[in-house]
Amino acid sequence: MSGIGASAALALVLGWVVFALTGLVLAPSVAAVIGAVMGVLTVALARETVAVSGLIAVLAPFGVMLPALAARHMAVSLGAEVPGFATWEILVFLALYVGFLCSAFGVIPADLYRYGYAPWPVGGMVLALCLYAFLTGNWFLAGVAVLGQLFWVLGWGSSNWFDMVLHVALVPVAVVVLLLRLL
Amino acid sequence: MGLAHIAIAGLAGLSVILSLWALRRDSPPVWRFAMPAPVAMTPGAARIETLFDYAIETGQAHSPTIVMGEGGFDVLWFEGSAEAQADVDIHHAAFRQFPEGWQTVAHGPRMTRAGLGKAMDPHQLVVTLGNTVENEARPGGVFATVVSVGGWAMASVADVTLGEAGPQAARKLNLSPFLNRSHLVKSPMVAFEDGSFGLPAYFEMGAAHGVLVRFDARGRVRDTARMAGAGKPIQPMIVPLDQGHAVAFLRDFEPSGRLLVSRTADGGRYWSPVAPTDLPNPSAPVAALNLGDGQILMAANDDPAGGDRLSLLMSQDGGESWRVLEVLEENGAGARYPVLRAQPGGGLILAYSVGNKTGLRVRLLQGDWSRA
Repeated sequence: MSGIGASAALALVLGWVVFALTGLVLAPSVAAVIGAVMGVLTVALARETVAVSGLIAVLAPFGVMLPALAARHMAVSLGAEVPGFATWEILVFLALYVGFLCSAFGVIPADLYRYGYAPWPVGGMVLALCLYAFLTGNWFLAGVAVLGQLFWVLGWGSSNWFDMVLHVALVPVAVVVLLLRLL
Repeated sequence: MGLAHIAIAGLAGLSVILSLWALRRDSPPVWRFAMPAPVAMTPGAARIETLFDYAIETGQAHSPTIVMGEGGFDVLWFEGSAEAQADVDIHHAAFRQFPEGWQTVAHGPRMTRAGLGKAMDPHQLVVTLGNTVENEARPGGVFATVVSVGGWAMASVADVTLGEAGPQAARKLNLSPFLNRSHLVKSPMVAFEDGSFGLPAYFEMGAAHGVLVRFDARGRVRDTARMAGAGKPIQPMIVPLDQGHAVAFLRDFEPSGRLLVSRTADGGRYWSPVAPTDLPNPSAPVAALNLGDGQILMAANDDPAGGDRLSLLMSQDGGESWRVLEVLEENGAGARYPVLRAQPGGGLILAYSVGNKTGLRVRLLQGDWSRA
């Protein structure tokens, strides 16, 4: 199951990159089709090449949030109404996530990642995200948190829930979004 | 309340159900070490027999590990043109005991990068292989250090099932939120009271720290405990002393010229801040074994001048003080990376690399080393 999930997530992320680049010069609907076709074809036809198996090796586990954000961006560009995040929310996320990564590196002497293995802390964190999502009306956030918990319980992908809702690639994604909002 | 709020409330309800399911299925780690059984000694005075003396003409062969099996044991190591290069595979030699003595019954490649990449779930590129240790929780299981991009600091630990023809199944352990990178293994597993095993591992990037990894019933990572503190502590060698206490000896990657130590009093859940010992150590891993009655036998590079002399040392007080029993290899032999395991039928097996990573030596320690 991890293999199918990783291939699907990579197709989505690759399609998103193609969509974002072609969307600079083409209409969103055309860019989305090109992105979807390129993402699926790349993974379907070149899965065993060094490039694609290397991307899997480097980026897996993809989790839920990264491919969900990719899908959300494309859906919104095509006119769908999917809630997003305010600038201040992205800033707070970036600060907290960098702190989380620092704790993993031992720069901050606390092992926060450890709590992602255990049912009680994970259950508490998902409910806290659901409460925040309820207060802000962001069903996308609640959906990612609970879908990540479902995959985690089923044993699809990482054994750590944090890997379901976070990914290092979110740091450059958040920075790019912030810069684009500044311009 | 709008549609979005109803959907979120429904998701919260689903989350509660999932949490209850997860809690019901969960088996939290038992933090009590298995009581270390006294190591069976063979009769007679302490003596050493060399079983395997392996040297390669070009390239490197380094970091042996011992995998116990029916009627004997296997020694695995990595071999290629040079450490961390894209032609390094895992090789092995199989040793079986016959009435006439120990014999090498197989020797050659055991796990290739291509074979491991295909066995991985998901399939992925494996560029090079490093330290390997036995997964004592499963016959045919090993934990391999794998690199797909970069050097050792970008390594991951793979849980591999080995068959006759090589890797049959493999998956990376989830140990780090940074692209699951920078964890490696070196030392044998630790047994716990509930029959499970813990894996000593280490994080090599940044400040570096040792890690004790615990698993759930499915073999997935369930918890980790850090050993952090002075220096850059890596390659923990954990020696349980009783059900609650253990001592971990760590290599200082900085290096400070001293062996590092951390202790636990609660079965490995928490570890004391890593601190330097009085033992000299030229930034090299050690191997150690509890012989029973508070005695610890250690193989270590212990030259105060920083040489690569490899010695057998004994502690009678749980690792507080040490005396040299035997110098195994003098300075200049290039001896490093010892591994020490007890034979179920009696006797100890010691393996290490020699010639500055260009060969291996496997030795059988027979007789009563607890009285040496």
